[in-house]
Amino acid sequence: MPNPDLVPDRDGITFFGTLSAAVTHDMKNFLAIINENAGLLEDLAAGARNGAVPVDPRKAALISEKIRKQVNRADKMIKLFNRFSHSMDHAQESVDMEEMVLLVAGLAERIIRHHDVFLTVTPALVPCRIQAHRFDLLNLIYRAVETSCEILNNTPGENRKQVTISFGSDPLVPEICFILDTGTASGWDTLFDTSKDRALLDRVNMHVKKAGPGGNGFCLCKTPGKQ
Amino acid sequence: MGPRILLVDDEQEFVLTLAERLQMRDMDSYAAFDGPTALEQVRSHPPQILIIDLKMPGMDGIQVLKQVKQTHPGIQIIILTGHGSEQDKINCMNLGASAYFQKPVDIDRLIAAIRQGYETVRSDDQKTATFDRYPKTGSWQP
Repeated sequence: MPNPDLVPDRDGITFFGTLSAAVTHDMKNFLAIINENAGLLEDLAAGARNGAVPVDPRKAALISEKIRKQVNRADKMIKLFNRFSHSMDHAQESVDMEEMVLLVAGLAERIIRHHDVFLTVTPALVPCRIQAHRFDLLNLIYRAVETSCEILNNTPGENRKQVTISFGSDPLVPEICFILDTGTASGWDTLFDTSKDRALLDRVNMHVKKAGPGGNGFCLCKTPGKQ
Repeated sequence: MGPRILLVDDEQEFVLTLAERLQMRDMDSYAAFDGPTALEQVRSHPPQILIIDLKMPGMDGIQVLKQVKQTHPGIQIIILTGHGSEQDKINCMNLGASAYFQKPVDIDRLIAAIRQGYETVRSDDQKTATFDRYPKTGSWQP
């Protein structure tokens, strides 16, 4: 159950609404595909009843497989959404940052795709944990993904729009890095510069630093000296 | 022969299954999986009915609706979306859509909207054909 002392602020509610809308859109699509395949089976059965064409067992098996695939997609999405919903249950705790990145990537897959952006997550080589409120950390990671998509879409050129997320190699200095295939380092000065973003960074005890070979990326890093 | 229908949706499984069901009802249906391809199909092989999703990568359904209504105002456009608000519905109808449905849709309701759209297309075609029989200038002799 959500902890009533940890009710999200307006920004947090907006984040929750954005991801909920994306998830329900996905669910509607899964249901629509299941609905059409069930309808196709009905059509085939009706044709067979009328003596037109017997139902091909291979065709029926194929349709059944398509329905099962959508049920699996829906089940996966519901599990992710359930974990997201429970992210408000506890105050500060030790949180696996890789797990949180994968959760955001799964929930926001449709949003990222609609930006025409490809997101790759490089597995962490060492444990990457931080003391934080899960919901706030998820919100920050989503803001980083959203910011990455905005930068890529505002960058002229024909480059493939790619974001690669990786993790720091020192477990004592946990960080999440976002490297963008922009080929330019312009427009980074105002990164996470709004009062909302600064407040969010402060709540999860993190700060932003530039990263990448050409300064074409940024990392969310644990702020030293803070729990 | 029934209406020629172009289905546009980035969910390929959805659009291909729906196309198959429409073909079983003697409707000549074909598919596109994004907005730019749909516009290309409209140019090269214009449909009588266009069924489009609103949220698609790159170019969304509203942009497709606007462009098609500018270049091919006679095409009847049906919105079939998984993510539409009441305001989206009003916007689409104001832009010239003939019907608006939320996914998952009842096939009979969709077929009824397709038939109604097809009747409009045929009626418009007949009016155009009748109009073309009249001379553009001068007096008309029955």
